Amino acid sequence: MKITIGHFYPDLLNLYGDRGNILAIKKRCEWRGIETEVKEFSIDDEVDFSGLDIVFLGGGSDREQLIVCKRLKEIQKDILDYVQDNGVILAVCGGYQLLGHYYQLEKEKIEGLSVLDIYTIAGQKRLIDNVILETDFGSVAGFENHGGRTYIGDHKPLGKVLYGNGNNGEDGQEGVLYRNVFGTYLHGPILPKNPNLTDELIARALTRKYGTAALSPLDDCIEIQAKEYIIERFLKEKS
Amino acid sequence: MNRIRRIAAVWTCKLLIKIGKLAGKKGSSTPGIYALKIYPGILEDLSKQVKHEIIAVCGTNGKTTTNNLICSILEKKGYKVVCNKVGANMLPGVVTAFIDSADLFGNLHADYAAIEMDEASCVRIFPHFTPDIMVISNLFRDQLDRYGEIDITVDFLKKALALTKNTTLIINGDDPICATIGKDFNQKVITYGISEDLQIHLNETKEGQFCAYCGSRLAYDYYHYSQLGQYHCESCGFQRPAIDYEATQVDIQNGLKFTVNQKMRIAVDYRGFYNVYNILAALCTADCLHIDLSDINEILSDYKPQIGRMEKFDLGKPVILNLSKNPAGFNQGIFTVLSDTHTKDIIVMINDNAQDGKDISWIWDVDFEKLDNEKVHSLGFCGIRRYDVNVRFKYADFERKSSKVYDDLKSAIKDMIKKGGEVLYILVNYTAIFQAQDILKELEEEYRKGGLEI
Repeated sequence: MKITIGHFYPDLLNLYGDRGNILAIKKRCEWRGIETEVKEFSIDDEVDFSGLDIVFLGGGSDREQLIVCKRLKEIQKDILDYVQDNGVILAVCGGYQLLGHYYQLEKEKIEGLSVLDIYTIAGQKRLIDNVILETDFGSVAGFENHGGRTYIGDHKPLGKVLYGNGNNGEDGQEGVLYRNVFGTYLHGPILPKNPNLTDELIARALTRKYGTAALSPLDDCIEIQAKEYIIERFLKEKS
Repeated sequence: MNRIRRIAAVWTCKLLIKIGKLAGKKGSSTPGIYALKIYPGILEDLSKQVKHEIIAVCGTNGKTTTNNLICSILEKKGYKVVCNKVGANMLPGVVTAFIDSADLFGNLHADYAAIEMDEASCVRIFPHFTPDIMVISNLFRDQLDRYGEIDITVDFLKKALALTKNTTLIINGDDPICATIGKDFNQKVITYGISEDLQIHLNETKEGQFCAYCGSRLAYDYYHYSQLGQYHCESCGFQRPAIDYEATQVDIQNGLKFTVNQKMRIAVDYRGFYNVYNILAALCTADCLHIDLSDINEILSDYKPQIGRMEKFDLGKPVILNLSKNPAGFNQGIFTVLSDTHTKDIIVMINDNAQDGKDISWIWDVDFEKLDNEKVHSLGFCGIRRYDVNVRFKYADFERKSSKVYDDLKSAIKDMIKKGGEVLYILVNYTAIFQAQDILKELEEEYRKGGLEI
């Protein structure tokens, strides 16, 4: 078995240790004997989505995000087809915002890809904090740092916020889960400390490709210890 | 009236500095906060009394070393210098430094001021005084949860620079982000840089790889580290500026040696390639001040690096403590560790207090994979976020003799010193440094007395 990961524009979208996400997917596959290939795309590269099993879009500064957005618009149809075909995407922060209809900044409006029926509006204060979520796949811990407030309408959120702000700091929801698209504001990076989520991505990619995915269990003591530390510390602080 | 308030502010501040010292506090911003409350004009008053130039030093990495080098060059020449040596570099810390140098009547007898400044604080300090010389060493990602993004830091600096008049800007021309600030500055700009390919290859996350003017990818002939190197934009012509003070014939084996502008040979026993930049920046500044630099090598060799910059302790075998606050700094730390040919054990200690930055995601931007090296034996993990460091190394996934999480640094050191390496390295981030230094001094003392059980 083999998983091909498409890392989109790491030279532009590379804030906050996002490359740790690629490493987490890669290692957790390799430790199970699943072959991996990471394709790093630069902004001018042609992308063949048919060869990709997991797409990763990270976060960048507003300036860098504008450059990315222009390019993604050109391949919008390919991305939409990939999503409809149950392709797996992890989009973090800026990458998450880009999947929506638009990001309304103070003076300009960045058009998104409309993969998700969501929109984002720039807020006054940046939302910066540790975050703890409850998701269908168990608890998730990470760190958020975003100026935008995202409203997800009828979409299912990735998780319920137990600590932190989430999508907009108002509705107690974080991220979006639509088909096999995982959108989230969580850095940390999100995957290494949340092996439950990483394995969910891998399992979905394998199921799409091979029709089945039986992931052999790994020893996750180290990851769980790191996550539990965050959960204990901040939930205690809250109560 | 102002005179009375000035004296009241000075007395209060000096008293608080004394109390702080007695309480063993190393930081020094609180006294400044009270002084400003008593007399908001205190900094303007005191800074006006500086006889010659005021120098401000900014930049993500190297500002403390660069500033202290400048201070040390000036002091060696017999001048009295106001300097925030301990690195309290926001507005209150700067106030404290000035008051500390003043007498009880609020009179300052100083020839120069060399002030290290936090990049985001310049815009709050410059309404009180603007520097005659401002150095910007480099801009890397750092404590992003405080500044948001590096573009925001650049904006802060540009806003601060807009407040200046008759200021000479000294920048690292090898950094395209600094070069952009220089290009957009309408007063005098002086540049320094390293003008040859040193064949250093690090796998790093780089900032500013795209032209700030047209958005195209910058082309590099070579990189030194992070985004520092020889670059140009193929679309709009933006390029590394002409370099006024350039280092060539750089030798980083066993200390640092390099030649400035083909005439001045520098040879020091400092560790760390990045110190070539720190020394260049200090030389550049001193030359602007028309300081005689004929004895520069002696001055540099007398300079003691401030705490925790590859600081050496003796616990029967060498223990070397190094502070890095961000990926670029940590990668340089790792590069220096690996240039040491001895076998070693390494402790990595990461805290997430407010001054460190609450977000520690950046440890995934550090190329810890480079420590996959036969000379690296065992690893120990410490600090508030020790479990995250443990995860980071699990995913770095390389063979080592052992790795272990320790709840406190003292037991980590006592245990790790027994491992087989010839040297023990301790790599820490900001708030860990004082604690680490205290523990190491204590253990060193115990060792000297023969009481250290290892």
